[in-house]
Amino acid sequence: MANVEGKATAITVMTPVKPWARPVLELVFWAGRNLTFTLKKLEDLSFIHFARWAIISRFPDGGRGERLYHTYLFFESNFNGSWDEYIDAFSEVVPGRMKAIWDTSYGFPGPTPVEPFKAYIRRNEYVANHYWSAYPGAATSEIISARRVAQALDGFKRRTSGLPPEAFAAAYARLLTDVQADL
Amino acid sequence: MSRAGHDVFGQAGALTILAPVEPARAGDLAEVLDGLGTGADSPLARVHGTHFARWVILDQLVYQGPPQRRDVWDAPRLLFTSNFDGSLEDHLRALRIGLGPDGDAIFGHCTGYPGSAGPAAWNAWVRARRVPSALFFAAYGEQTVEEVRINLDLRARLIAFALEAQGLEPAALRARFKEVFPL
Repeated sequence: MANVEGKATAITVMTPVKPWARPVLELVFWAGRNLTFTLKKLEDLSFIHFARWAIISRFPDGGRGERLYHTYLFFESNFNGSWDEYIDAFSEVVPGRMKAIWDTSYGFPGPTPVEPFKAYIRRNEYVANHYWSAYPGAATSEIISARRVAQALDGFKRRTSGLPPEAFAAAYARLLTDVQADL
Repeated sequence: MSRAGHDVFGQAGALTILAPVEPARAGDLAEVLDGLGTGADSPLARVHGTHFARWVILDQLVYQGPPQRRDVWDAPRLLFTSNFDGSLEDHLRALRIGLGPDGDAIFGHCTGYPGSAGPAAWNAWVRARRVPSALFFAAYGEQTVEEVRINLDLRARLIAFALEAQGLEPAALRARFKEVFPL
């Protein structure tokens, strides 16, 4: 399946925006860019690598762009875990944000209950023809943990380079204690 | 332009390209994309500094039913998205050179594609089909692909070392640590 590469899954969705709703979307995304707590929830979900939204009024064609009756909302995400788990988490953890974004689109049934929400996403999803990840074996949480481990290891090496064996062993035990949650 | 807009999070950038496909050639394009190597054999593996990327053929917009007015594209679209390190200029150069003939075989199905031999024409073609993000999120936007891979490797090595070094005397522990994690 081209939407999956190792632990990573791709999702690509495009939906038509209601005529009155574009300013609402602009406001929602402004809040996302400028009010840091709005993105904190995405960080808390901890399985999203990268995600983006775009508002498309004219589809690029090399000239002025093809203008259709509706503006479109584009969404893509790169995440680890299954498609169902991903939509479940969106529905359970950030339903308010999902509603604020997709309530502007035709046909959106709301983030809860989750089954109609899943059906809506499936109906508007495009399956990737080719998908690539630079580190397909890694989950988002592993990448974030690995950075903490690398920083701890770097500090440990600098602090312990001249220590005698017993002091080194004690410092090594403390290192493992400090990073055990990231291993 | 390279760092402007809402396509930057930390040091990471987002690129979204939507290009009309020659209407009679969408089927042929799907075959080309299906035939690409995956993982380390993907042409995207040659594009330095790319975290995730995808190609998706969008045959037509999804109609939600009344009261939405039906929109129809003149031609199918080829979507390309990437999440990359550093500046857009550097990424476009890496894409043009890294994809090489594979990129020409893919984007050559799109209207007006000039080929990758001329950097100026190629860059202009891509930029004219770029869709800016309204909101871009990166869970670890401060890390480059190289750093992610190095950190994951260090973490894996520390896990292996912790298992291997259980029960070693302090002098042996220190000596073995310095072998596995040289300064």
